[in-house]
Amino acid sequence: MSILQRLAESCGIPGAVASARGVAAAVAVALLAACGEPGGETKPSAPAGAAPAPRAVRLQLNWMPEPEFGGIYAAQQDGLFAREGLAVEVIAGSAGTPTAQMTASGQVEFGIVGGDQVLTLREKGGDLVGLFAIFQTSPMGVMVRADAPWKSLQELWASDATVAMEAGLPFVRYLNQKHPGGKVRLVPTGTGLAAFEQGAVQAQQCFISAEPVQMELKGIPVRVFSLAEGGYDPYTVTVATGAAFLAKDRDACAAFVRALREGWARYLAEPAKYNPAIAKLNPGMTLAAMDVAARKQHDLVAPPGTGANEVGMMERARWETLARQLVELGTLKAVPPVIDDVFWNAP
Amino acid sequence: MSGARAPAPARAPSRAPSRARAALAAAVPPFAVIVASILAWQGAVWAFRPGEYLLPSPVQVAEEAWDSRATLARAAWLTGLSAAGGFALAAFAGVLAGSVLAASRFLMRGLYPIATLLQMVPLVAIAPLLVVWCGYGWRTSVASAAIVSVFPVLASTLDGMRGTDRGLVELFGTLHAGRVQRWWKLELPWALPSIVTGLRVAAGLSVIGAIVGEFVGAFAGDASPVGIVILSALRENRTELVFAAVLTAAVVGFALFGLVSALGWVALRRWHASGG
Repeated sequence: MSILQRLAESCGIPGAVASARGVAAAVAVALLAACGEPGGETKPSAPAGAAPAPRAVRLQLNWMPEPEFGGIYAAQQDGLFAREGLAVEVIAGSAGTPTAQMTASGQVEFGIVGGDQVLTLREKGGDLVGLFAIFQTSPMGVMVRADAPWKSLQELWASDATVAMEAGLPFVRYLNQKHPGGKVRLVPTGTGLAAFEQGAVQAQQCFISAEPVQMELKGIPVRVFSLAEGGYDPYTVTVATGAAFLAKDRDACAAFVRALREGWARYLAEPAKYNPAIAKLNPGMTLAAMDVAARKQHDLVAPPGTGANEVGMMERARWETLARQLVELGTLKAVPPVIDDVFWNAP
Repeated sequence: MSGARAPAPARAPSRAPSRARAALAAAVPPFAVIVASILAWQGAVWAFRPGEYLLPSPVQVAEEAWDSRATLARAAWLTGLSAAGGFALAAFAGVLAGSVLAASRFLMRGLYPIATLLQMVPLVAIAPLLVVWCGYGWRTSVASAAIVSVFPVLASTLDGMRGTDRGLVELFGTLHAGRVQRWWKLELPWALPSIVTGLRVAAGLSVIGAIVGEFVGAFAGDASPVGIVILSALRENRTELVFAAVLTAAVVGFALFGLVSALGWVALRRWHASGG
């Protein structure tokens, strides 16, 4: 369960091991879409006089249950979705889950996607809309061993180190553009952390709050170069929906975001209350690692000074910056003419 | 009258058009199916408008393939080398192992079930281990290609050799032929049609194996193999490039398959019906 995979997942793409399944899943999505199965049509009918049944919606994660989704599970555990009249089915992801395509095509009402993916998919006809940015500061980074000779990303990029990092991700283009002439050799992340542990790769793509924690708990001290500090800071983990669903059921989207915001506030205040339930859903990550990860990600989710009602909120300027960066990188053809169509901050 | 007929010389030229017609007749059905499939694909895109991010049209795929022709050509070359290397290893190991197993009922009963594991173990699951064992780069792709394609060769070799005519085996024994001599002069030629069939299957599989190996162990850069091109295109939501890369992989597979078939034809055409 590598970071690369996680990062790739945030862009809707699996890690290397799972990439074959990713292709199959993408094809499956295409076939399903061609068969025309719109989501969001599942409002159950209620008998006369009875309380209306909760609105059934699905949230597709792009990775397994981990603290990065802590607020979602807190909202579910505390009945916050139900209070808003929603019956939310949280679907755990795996390597290869094409959440962006599933969400854009309406097979699920909500999905976890990368901010860059919202923009690139819209250009290809997949009208995604960002609703909630889980991380205000991108948790993406590059991890090296604590005793590695490189003191910066620039030094690392100028070296001939082997770096486990998924080619094709926008930030790889960003690093190549920012540090031209780099000699690093990029390899996929399909081996998880094994290659990094064994020294076969000298640096690895990571979530600051995840893989470095696992390394530290294994007794391998590491340093992390933050990509956000290096100038590339997209809304990496974003809850998105399809534009069609938002237009049709704006109230459900607003209710979903309200519950999510409250859930995150509760999780940030008391992650230890919710982590055991998350750990049960993901035996691959220990409870201890989840507790440490929750602490490390706190300020990335809610930087100091963030009000309870500001968690998950997105800024127009941030989306514009990301769009401009993607255009400069050649990932996007043009900045969307109406950037406000890309995201919606629910009241 | 007799001078005007000249029947013998007239027969030779008539065979060329006959062969041309036969070749044409053989080519028309697959060509027609391909054209019909492309038209149906394009028609489905027009009718259902699934969105470029879900299903690009054949025209979009063709345009992308042309725009990325240099990238795809390099990728095809690199993946083709890995697949060919893995295929060669599998061919050698498969024929050798099949011959050894065919020589001993005890070995066959003991080892053949284990050999079938090669076919049953999901390659995707063990691919990361190949990186750990072989390191990054072409070695992992070659190993992956070899693992996935060795079993068809082994099985076809074993079946072919076990089917050797018993009467001929007894004849070789009567003539005091040695074990190696019997293998070289009798069993291997006897099994050759079956081996060629196994090699054809292995040729296609070797490309799949190479790409799976590339998914976990190939270097990315200016010259990336097909597996990396596919991964990168997926991450960039360039579905049309994914399709173009997959078609490139298919072309590599066809090329390898065609090469093996041609070699098989050369080896068999003079004495076996399957080579005719």
